[in-house]
Amino acid sequence: MTEKWKDEAWSQDIWYSGKITRRTALGWGGGVLGAAMLVPAPWQAAFGQTAPYKIGSLQPLSGAGAAGGKTALVGVEMAIDRINKAGGINGRPVALVAADDESKPDVGRRKTEKMLLEDKIDVHVGGFLSNICLACMPVFEETKVVNMIGVCLDTTLTTSKCNRYSFRTFDYAPAQAVAIAPYLVNKMGKKWHIAFADYSWGQSTRDAYTAEIKKLGGEVVGTTGIPLGTADMTSFLSKIQGNFDGLFGIFFGKDGVTIGNQAFDLGLTKKYKWAGDGAIAESVNLPALGSKIEGFVGINRYIPVFEGPLNTPSHRKFFDDAKARLLKIDSSGPLPDRYVQSNFEAMNALKIGMEKSKFQGRQDTMKLIEALEGLVMKEGDDFPQGGGLLRKEDHQAFIRQFIFEIKGGKHKIIETVAGDKTIVPPACKFASA
Amino acid sequence: MDTLVHFFQSIPYDQIVIQTMNGIVTGMILALVASGLTLIFGIMDVVNFAHGELFMLGAYVGVIVLVATGSFWMALVLASLVVAILGAALQIVTLRPLIGRDPLNTILATFGISLILQNYALWQFGPVARKINEPITTHFNLFYLEYPWYRLVIAALSAAIIGSFWLFLKYGKFGVWIRATTQDRVMAQAMGIPVPWVHTGVFAIGAGMAAASGVLFGPLVGVNHAMGLDWVLKAFIVVVVGGMGNLGGSIAAAIFISLLESYASIWMNPSQAVIVSFVVLILTLLFRPTGLFVPTPK
Repeated sequence: MTEKWKDEAWSQDIWYSGKITRRTALGWGGGVLGAAMLVPAPWQAAFGQTAPYKIGSLQPLSGAGAAGGKTALVGVEMAIDRINKAGGINGRPVALVAADDESKPDVGRRKTEKMLLEDKIDVHVGGFLSNICLACMPVFEETKVVNMIGVCLDTTLTTSKCNRYSFRTFDYAPAQAVAIAPYLVNKMGKKWHIAFADYSWGQSTRDAYTAEIKKLGGEVVGTTGIPLGTADMTSFLSKIQGNFDGLFGIFFGKDGVTIGNQAFDLGLTKKYKWAGDGAIAESVNLPALGSKIEGFVGINRYIPVFEGPLNTPSHRKFFDDAKARLLKIDSSGPLPDRYVQSNFEAMNALKIGMEKSKFQGRQDTMKLIEALEGLVMKEGDDFPQGGGLLRKEDHQAFIRQFIFEIKGGKHKIIETVAGDKTIVPPACKFASA
Repeated sequence: MDTLVHFFQSIPYDQIVIQTMNGIVTGMILALVASGLTLIFGIMDVVNFAHGELFMLGAYVGVIVLVATGSFWMALVLASLVVAILGAALQIVTLRPLIGRDPLNTILATFGISLILQNYALWQFGPVARKINEPITTHFNLFYLEYPWYRLVIAALSAAIIGSFWLFLKYGKFGVWIRATTQDRVMAQAMGIPVPWVHTGVFAIGAGMAAASGVLFGPLVGVNHAMGLDWVLKAFIVVVVGGMGNLGGSIAAAIFISLLESYASIWMNPSQAVIVSFVVLILTLLFRPTGLFVPTPK
């Protein structure tokens, strides 16, 4: 009965009726491949034969950092799709050239060189792990291509290792420290112990928080640096003891989940006040932390809530689009995180700079840099987080910060700190061009 | 005399007790991971680079079973079984055709499997880390810490699994076949032992043990696609230090190295403490390349 339809006349053309020879297979294969090549790229329907701007994006799409890299790439894709739908930049479409750094600095540098020399990208938006950003920044300087940092938070990227071609359109540790230190010292306690991921970002962030806590009359009584990717931190956390008020954690990704779980298991988060970088309690980490992260106080540039200044139509649009896209890469339906937000906004800042400078290609890089220097990122659909200033002197942005607490498994805003209240003096000296 | 008294007074006894417990717990998990790895090498001469991914898959299967049944113990058993079956299938499809070829072929094959499994997990489960709830949530006071009973349960269960496996090797018919094949593959085949199926069985057992450790350790770290990476490097060190293919040696080496790292963390910072295992590895390769826990070769 079930096989009867095969005898019907209409099915004769589609049903397998003889043996498939190698020639048939090659013929069909070639046909399918040819047809695929003829299908225009999504932007071609709207822009005809206009050459697109090539935007490179280096992200960790495999290896230890892949979970964050995947959400970061969603941010760039969201911005590019939105730009193309709205008519592109300077009437030209935007094409994304994504590359996977495999969470390794050497691979990252090689792929960056490939994007710049072979793919001939016009500009770059991306970079997730700070050690990879540090390895790749000189390549952008050598090739004179603008690099909009997507996620990397290492302080030195816009201080001692800054260069004229790289911009960070989001916060960094010194600004975060200025924002949260008063809350830590005045409302949580004077004496702190800092546990941090022992690599470039963790170390520079530890220094920034230590300095700011001391400046406000507090004290950092001890620090514990734990190597990146340590699966069992218990031996190191077990040593943390003594007379202090709070434990401050500087971790991200799966290390954030590990410290959240293991510090709770050892009773540290009950014995001491528990605060830290918002990356510990990023929305993609919350399911694995469960109730163990309750009461955690963190600081972040973005949290997926509709409270206070985040209760805007622009944020709703961003949130809905990001959530729908994230659902496609994770069936558990994660909420957007700061990695989506900062990549989305970095691409939008770039768009504004390219329009302002009438950028046509690499020959206009200096004009683009001048357009981006001192850019005021206005709150709205381009900058749903709230916007801020992209400072000329060091290419560092100062944007709104959210101090939050985890309650009932969700972020709750405790305080909002305006971007201009987080400004610290520039510490960058560009090499003369 | 005063110096000696001062020395004994300066020893942080509370830390030594705490770090001994930490070292034993970590060592037992490592032993469970490494015993599968050393078993596979001992009998098949295969350096299994995909072992960490079998650990990770075990944890993911554990999450799925836990969501479906609500039982941690069911998750532990079913994850081990499912990953053991997957391991058997992987061995038949990818490693069995490579028997007798240059070892580099199997290294590349298992490395390829590791990349495929890792990226499959990321594609299938996405970037959100998953949670396995521990079955025991109570604590006891250990000096200034609240120490979770679950960590001791992990150590005990790992010891029980390894102990059961040892009994199986000693008294079970298939266990005798495994030992015979380890000693002399050609002679075992001549005596009628189905060596290809012994290989498959051993790979399945190794995979199942990796999966069990993934489920047991899952509650402490969360489940993500890269969780195997952190363990497999250390498991390789343990296997080399314990003597490649030597089950007892690997268990002893796992506890030895974990205890050393834990004690080192009392006086050193964590970044220096984790180097201890590499120092032991280098010294072993230099002075006792057959492994610390095997008789000196004559």
